[in-house]
Amino acid sequence: MTPTTPSLRPLSCCKALLRQTGLQKPAARSMTTYFNKPQAAFHKKLMRQEEPRKVIKVIAPPPSTRKVYKEPLKDVTEAQLAILDPTGSRTNLFSKTNTDAAKVGDILLVRLKNGDPFAGVCINIRRRGIDTGILLRNELTRVGVEMWFKIYSPNVEGVEVVQRKEKRARRARLTYMRKPKHDIGSVQNIVLAYQKSRGAIRGRADDGPVGHENKGGKRKVKGKK
Amino acid sequence: MAPKLAVSWAQLPPSFLLPDTLLPLVARRGVKYGWSTADRRRKPNRFNQVTAGLPQLTQSPAAALERKAKTLPLRTGALAIKKGMTAIYDPETGIRTPATVVQMDRVQVVSHKTREKNGYFAVQMGAGWKHFDNVPRPLLGHFTGNGVSPKRHVVEFRVKDESGLLKIGQAVGPEWFLEGQFVDTRSNCRGMGFEGGMKRHGFKGQPASHGNSLAHRLMGSSGPSQGGGSRVHPGKKMPGNMGGQQVTVQAVKVLKVDAEKGILVLNGCIAGPKGCVVKIQDSLKKPWPVVLEGQLEEVKEAVQATA
Repeated sequence: MTPTTPSLRPLSCCKALLRQTGLQKPAARSMTTYFNKPQAAFHKKLMRQEEPRKVIKVIAPPPSTRKVYKEPLKDVTEAQLAILDPTGSRTNLFSKTNTDAAKVGDILLVRLKNGDPFAGVCINIRRRGIDTGILLRNELTRVGVEMWFKIYSPNVEGVEVVQRKEKRARRARLTYMRKPKHDIGSVQNIVLAYQKSRGAIRGRADDGPVGHENKGGKRKVKGKK
Repeated sequence: MAPKLAVSWAQLPPSFLLPDTLLPLVARRGVKYGWSTADRRRKPNRFNQVTAGLPQLTQSPAAALERKAKTLPLRTGALAIKKGMTAIYDPETGIRTPATVVQMDRVQVVSHKTREKNGYFAVQMGAGWKHFDNVPRPLLGHFTGNGVSPKRHVVEFRVKDESGLLKIGQAVGPEWFLEGQFVDTRSNCRGMGFEGGMKRHGFKGQPASHGNSLAHRLMGSSGPSQGGGSRVHPGKKMPGNMGGQQVTVQAVKVLKVDAEKGILVLNGCIAGPKGCVVKIQDSLKKPWPVVLEGQLEEVKEAVQATA
């Protein structure tokens, strides 16, 4: 670097001066302590913490359907039952509170809208609201037959109790009746006797026999209404 | 550091009155290199591209939206809670139809998503109620700003255009859906946890005997070795977490609508356990339902009259 001649650049002397002052600055700083006024932004931040939080207005909720109608499933079922079982006779026949209700072990006769009536020992009652069903067991053409019936189905015209079990069954499901030792076989004779007695009371015997032993299960019975 | 002007900023007139040359140098996106039809000083809008008479791009947000528009419903959907299953009998024919009961509770429009702001049209729906103590402040402000009470469930339903944007704060009940119309339901299915290959993917497992030991339910081989690549291919079905993901059931018929009780009865089953949140929207694979003008108001008036 060539030395600058002051005659050519008179202000170049300032450069050296400025450099010196620059070097002196840190030394001066170390010797003194500054008191700065708290900075405006920092002060504001401090103040903000002391301020209470702005309360957000909360809007009240609209009325709730869920609170009023807590069991929609029950509501739907009841609306269905009002149509399917207006008298409540179907509910009553299999209700747990009714002492005269049909129970497992009873021989039941189910009349259908489209098809032959079916009789058998009730070995299971499945209570599921609108889907409540019964399982009947009988013997047709020497073959054990079990049929599920939904008691609220419009296809089921009626359920009659043919014979009650003498002693209350101590099981909820009488699946043991499928074993040869306990199987009561065909209930046809009992049902026929029942229908005869009913016919005698009514003065007519047009109900027709149920489940002929030597006929196919689905064959139409002569003399049926 | 940017070079400072000799004059103090306080003495200068406001920046928008100054000529461009006096303003500090700030890099502007996409102006320096190439060209743009957009206004130089305007903030670029990524959703509404102005193409100055040029052919529309096939790969752009706008083009993507146009493609998607064909498969977007016209109306918003609604949120419901699954309550369980039952059956509906037809008294004439005696036909039994299995049905799912869902209940709608305080469903309201919370806000909108618009093309200008968000790039698509959607309606944000809220359902239920949540105590404001349990709602974070930003979200509480969002609800209050829109004039809606804090909601437990908040979900977006996409719609085709702005005509599908319901008024903010409007309540939507089950009468929003018509009896006999078809809907799509979306809900999270029951979570099964970590499950093996047999349950998760229907693998056959291994034989019970013939020298098999402790490997009856294992997945077996996960692929060929050297020559076959000696690696497991991506996407190989393996044991892992099963269930708990969203399942859509399409074209579910609406059997019954009870506006007073907030009940909607749907045909068949939908995914998820009882109490799960179900998103219901008009079915994509069936014609859109025809809602007559003033039909919804009539139902609402009838409900108010009975209540």
